[in-house]
Amino acid sequence: MEERPQHCLSRLLDNSALKQQELPIHRLYFTARRVLFVFFATGIFCLCMGIILILSARSTQEIEINYTRICANCAKLQENASNFDKECTCSIPFYLSGKMMGNVYMYYKLYGFYQNLYLYIRSRSNRQLVGKDVKAVEDCAPFKMSDNKTPIVPCGAIANSMFNDTIILSHNINSSVQIKVPMLKSRLTWWTDKYVKFQNLSSKNLADEFRGKIHTVPPNWPKPIYDLDKKDPRNNGFLNDDFIVWMRAAAFPTFKKLYGRLNRTHHFIEGLPAGNYSFNITYNFPVTRFHGEKSVVLSTLTWCGGNSLFLGLAYTVTGAMTWLASFAMMAIHIMLKNKKMSFFHQ
Amino acid sequence: MFCFMVEVERIVKANDREYNEKFQYADNRIHTSKYNILTFLPINLFEQFQRVANAYFLCLLILQLIPEISSLTWFTTIVPLVLVITMTAVKDATDDYFRHKSDNQVNNRQSEVLINSKLQNEKWMNVKVGDIIKLENNQFVAADLLLLSSSEPHGLCYVETAELDGETNLKVRHALSVTSELGADISRLAGFDGIVVCEVPNNKLDKFMGILSWKDSKHSLNNEKIILRGCILRNTSWCFGMVIFAGPDTKLMQNSGKTKFKRTSIDRLMNTLVLWIFGFLICLGIILAIGNSIWESQTGDQFRTFLFWNEGEKSSVFSGFLTFWSYIIILNTVVPISLYVSVEVIRLGHSYFINWDRKMYYSRKAIPAEARTTTLNEELGQIEYIFSDKTGTLTQNIMTFKRCSINGRIYGEVHDDLDQKTEITQEKEPVDFSVKSQADREFQFFDHNLMESIKMGDPKVHEFLRLLALCHTVMSEENSAGELIYQVQSPDEGALVTAARNFGFIFKSRTPETITIEELGTLATYQLLAFLDFNNTRKRMSVIVRNPEGQIKLYSKGADTILFEKLHPSNEVLLSLTSDHLSEFAGEGLRTLAIAYRDLDDKYFKEWHKMLEDANAATEERDERIAGLYEEIERDLMLLGATAVEDKLQEGVIETVTSLSLANIKIWVLTGDKQETAINIGYACNMLTDDMNDVFVIAGNNAVEVREELRKAKQNLFGQNRNFSNGHVVCEKKQQLELDSIVEETLTGDYALIINGHSLAHALESDVKNDLLELACMCKTVICCRVTPLQKAQVVELVKKYRNAVTLAIGDGANDVSMIKSAHIGIGISGQEGLQAVLASDYSFAQFRYLQRLLLVHGRWSYFRMCKFLCYFFYKNFAFTLVHFWFGFFCGFSAQIALDTSYWTFINHVFIWGSIAIYFSILFTMHSNGIFGIFPNQFPFVGNARHSLTQKCIWLVILLTTVASVMPVVAFRFLKVDLYPTLSDQIRRWQKAQKKARPPSSRRPRTRRSSSRRSGYAFAHQEGYGELITSGKNMRAKNPPPTSGLEKTHYNSTSWIENLCKKTTDTVSSFSQDKTVKL
Repeated sequence: MEERPQHCLSRLLDNSALKQQELPIHRLYFTARRVLFVFFATGIFCLCMGIILILSARSTQEIEINYTRICANCAKLQENASNFDKECTCSIPFYLSGKMMGNVYMYYKLYGFYQNLYLYIRSRSNRQLVGKDVKAVEDCAPFKMSDNKTPIVPCGAIANSMFNDTIILSHNINSSVQIKVPMLKSRLTWWTDKYVKFQNLSSKNLADEFRGKIHTVPPNWPKPIYDLDKKDPRNNGFLNDDFIVWMRAAAFPTFKKLYGRLNRTHHFIEGLPAGNYSFNITYNFPVTRFHGEKSVVLSTLTWCGGNSLFLGLAYTVTGAMTWLASFAMMAIHIMLKNKKMSFFHQ
Repeated sequence: MFCFMVEVERIVKANDREYNEKFQYADNRIHTSKYNILTFLPINLFEQFQRVANAYFLCLLILQLIPEISSLTWFTTIVPLVLVITMTAVKDATDDYFRHKSDNQVNNRQSEVLINSKLQNEKWMNVKVGDIIKLENNQFVAADLLLLSSSEPHGLCYVETAELDGETNLKVRHALSVTSELGADISRLAGFDGIVVCEVPNNKLDKFMGILSWKDSKHSLNNEKIILRGCILRNTSWCFGMVIFAGPDTKLMQNSGKTKFKRTSIDRLMNTLVLWIFGFLICLGIILAIGNSIWESQTGDQFRTFLFWNEGEKSSVFSGFLTFWSYIIILNTVVPISLYVSVEVIRLGHSYFINWDRKMYYSRKAIPAEARTTTLNEELGQIEYIFSDKTGTLTQNIMTFKRCSINGRIYGEVHDDLDQKTEITQEKEPVDFSVKSQADREFQFFDHNLMESIKMGDPKVHEFLRLLALCHTVMSEENSAGELIYQVQSPDEGALVTAARNFGFIFKSRTPETITIEELGTLATYQLLAFLDFNNTRKRMSVIVRNPEGQIKLYSKGADTILFEKLHPSNEVLLSLTSDHLSEFAGEGLRTLAIAYRDLDDKYFKEWHKMLEDANAATEERDERIAGLYEEIERDLMLLGATAVEDKLQEGVIETVTSLSLANIKIWVLTGDKQETAINIGYACNMLTDDMNDVFVIAGNNAVEVREELRKAKQNLFGQNRNFSNGHVVCEKKQQLELDSIVEETLTGDYALIINGHSLAHALESDVKNDLLELACMCKTVICCRVTPLQKAQVVELVKKYRNAVTLAIGDGANDVSMIKSAHIGIGISGQEGLQAVLASDYSFAQFRYLQRLLLVHGRWSYFRMCKFLCYFFYKNFAFTLVHFWFGFFCGFSAQIALDTSYWTFINHVFIWGSIAIYFSILFTMHSNGIFGIFPNQFPFVGNARHSLTQKCIWLVILLTTVASVMPVVAFRFLKVDLYPTLSDQIRRWQKAQKKARPPSSRRPRTRRSSSRRSGYAFAHQEGYGELITSGKNMRAKNPPPTSGLEKTHYNSTSWIENLCKKTTDTVSSFSQDKTVKL
């Protein structure tokens, strides 16, 4: 039996480290020094982070006023079917004890409104909203067409149930002088919403454009889509910021949505000064029917979000646990080491 | 084969296709393929949907097509399902294509068939039952044939049956005398119109019953007249045969066993896991459905009015019912279909690692290891039982003359300068035989002392070698180059005669009456006076010759235990010395024979010869009288010495066996070879040792005896305290087995079990089966000898069924195919002549020793990796899916999903295929403005990722989650190494300490061992060849025999064939423990 030449072998089977499974491996070897170092370092980091987060969260200010009960008379008025087109306003005065510095944001907050129901979320037509085809209402059941077979614009359950209270914040400098706090209705949405997901049919004359297509207003809506913002004609149609904010369905039944942000001019250049304020609310959105509640929220933000303490607390707890664990591990390790030493000495 | 009637007997008429067509016998085409083009799609789909997972996903798909409950779009399921099914189908199709190809290759082999009185080349598949075909030397036999005539006198022919039973000895077949007359006369053969009535197709290789009716007379047919498909014709220039069984009816195909779909234990575990998870899923679904009903009746009602949904349309219970199905669809990702695909892909990768492994590459023959099945890799790490063939797998089937002891002196050991025994290494210079023109070049002997003794003319040494050259059944032949070629019927004899030849005692030729040898250059012709043949009770063989000087001598060789009793008392000193030497040889696993001679005086021999002739002529008790006469003359022998022949093991067998048994893997040897040979190999590769407490040999001839022997062995094992009463009562079986597994643990000492084929046949019957299994599983080594291919498979099945153990079968020949197929994992040794074993196997490589790497490296790693992967996979899916469950509590159980799952499955595939780049590119595409512009309804999540990831808060949460998840694991690992270190931890620590101390010194383990075992006797010899030689029937006639040669040969010669037949049928029917002729 003569040996075959060696080149056979090299030709047939590649001698690479991968194919021969001889790649270098690294196995984490948990030496006491490394592990304890990592643990202590992580613990310190988490504790610091937690404290910073808690401090910054506490530096934010937030005022929430639940007006479900305060404006109960309006709700009652609305429940009576004969008064459905009567406007009802209610005013809620409140006192701001300290001034709110920086950017102030105004939110409306709903309790018990299930915007995350499967059928509810599905009931919208992105094709319509992107301005491509007003008649694309296939996905909008049960709000597809009106009785005379014209498409509803905007169609679907989400659009139909849009939050339509008007909230106006005014500052009472003294008992007689009331200044309306200027609120901006722009940049409440994401860039992609404004420029990708929502588009009007054509930018020239919105009303004409919408009127040209025969369509119907959603059943709950008092006014058509092209007439949502009377002051700013560009903030109309599908590009209305309130509409876009509402159309982004919330993930939980209790949610708040951005309503406006403080226009920092003149009197309010530094934020909201302390003093008497009042909310003037035009009450349209019915919550008593589903035993929900609604409130209005004023809040400032910091670099890490709103005034939720959760993240800060979580960091602090984790840091503390890590430190405890590292002390425990150190103790165990030293004990075992002594034992081993004595064993070797024997 | 579909027959409308069950075949009770087969009637075949030669040369009459029309007549035979009536019976619709199968033709000679074989099908191992499963599909054809038309049946592929339906059959393959049917098979695939039988898998639980595929069926489950089909159901899911159907559910998703119902709009009321569909919470995910239908393509999330159909895309992966179609992908999986296509991949599997493509794989099945390629597999089947190769089967078709190999079928075609076999079916298209050419053979010469007698059609319309002419020999025509015909493809194998067109051969029909009843055809007469011509075979030539070294050709494969196309179908099961009735031998009609051959080129050798008296219709003899030689076949090699290695493909069938693994034995490489040549076997003799002979035609009926009436048909052998036909010779090669085509016109007479074409006129042959005999009718054969015989048994129906079956898988018994050593049995055939039939009757040939021709010319108004009937001749009974037995196995001796049949050549089976798969044999190779040897030393016979041509023969004619009539096809009895063709294609799927042949004994080879009947023995091949069914191909089973093999699955690994991980597969089974996965299936159970999937079932459990499915149950879990149902529970989740029910909880959420109940939640939905409650929510609908309490909150949803009020909310519904707000949303203008028709109140009467849905009751809360019905809504809950729908929600149940919706959640089943949403939560289906706990059992993701990609699991099955990913597992397959990982296994495929592991198979490539096996194929690429240079450490399993046999450079001499340029054969790499090959994983022929890609789905079984991790099972390799779980093997508990290995069933190994012997010939060709453990041994090379090469016998070499290693040592001898002549007149009390050992030759063949190599001593170094300090007179220490040393290993024979390549550097040692072998004895140079090249000066002798007749020497066999491959023979190597390392002790120069023997040559010197020969040169010095030591008479005992000369006598010893002369005996080796005279006392055997070898036939010689000169090939065209004038070289001597020996035709041996047992490789041991070949080794001995070749050794004598190389030392100058060259066996030249023989006639029925003489043997011519060349003694150190001078020709000498010995007269062969008597041939005292070998058989299994005598365990020896003798010749009586008259040498040229006129002296009569009896030369004898045989088992030492037998021969030592026949010695003359004057040999006592030499006997004890030789006996020591024999023990030493046997301890090294060599096959030994004792050698002795006797001088006879003329008068005594003449008297004896007369008595022998009388006995031969006798009609009553002929065999007993002859045996008595043999005993009479074979006494007062003078001991010459002993020979030791090595049955060469494959490289590295001992090391492999040792390390595998260290890994607690039990190795059983299943061989078609003889008991002695098998035991010998057991000792040679350390499976049997002298340290063993007991070796049980089961050799009963009927069920009762076998049971008794098993019981006795078991009692031995347990001592008398444990009483095994009713091992065969079926209802107690389970408890019994459980009990025994405890006993097995507590059992101390090593035991071995040796059982032969006939006993095994009885032992495999239902009531003794458990006794056998219990005993066998408690023994460290089990050797089954003389087993048929089907019995091999039965043994494997037995262990598989009752032990729940993972089994592996390894073999090289067609006789191992059924065993390879029935074991969990079958391994074929490639690089041998036949391909059947490799084709049937799951893995193939060239050397037994690669088994170690395959099991202990590849198997272990595959198992580790697969386990890690599965853990990760299930973890990932639970983490992902349970979010939906939790979210259900916040969204009114309305089956809304919290995360974008529509493309989750798809992303999953890509992720697992390792391409993070592809993952992100798809993610970005899906979140891109462009794709939203094209499909606003299908991809509504534009902007989500972009805006959330720009918030610092999100990153803080991610960081915190990471810390909170990683820290406990690190702490756990750290403490585990400290508190409960695993073996590998300890070893790693030890290695570190070693590295610091000093580099390890290399040690070479010594395999030599001393042994007290007495007999290493083994001799692969068959009875009957003595008569063959003395009758002269196998001598090739120098002149072509006359056509009517049969009448001219004298009476004595025809009786020889009858004797041979009689003996073989006797042995077969009486189930003697060592049946000599198996086919």
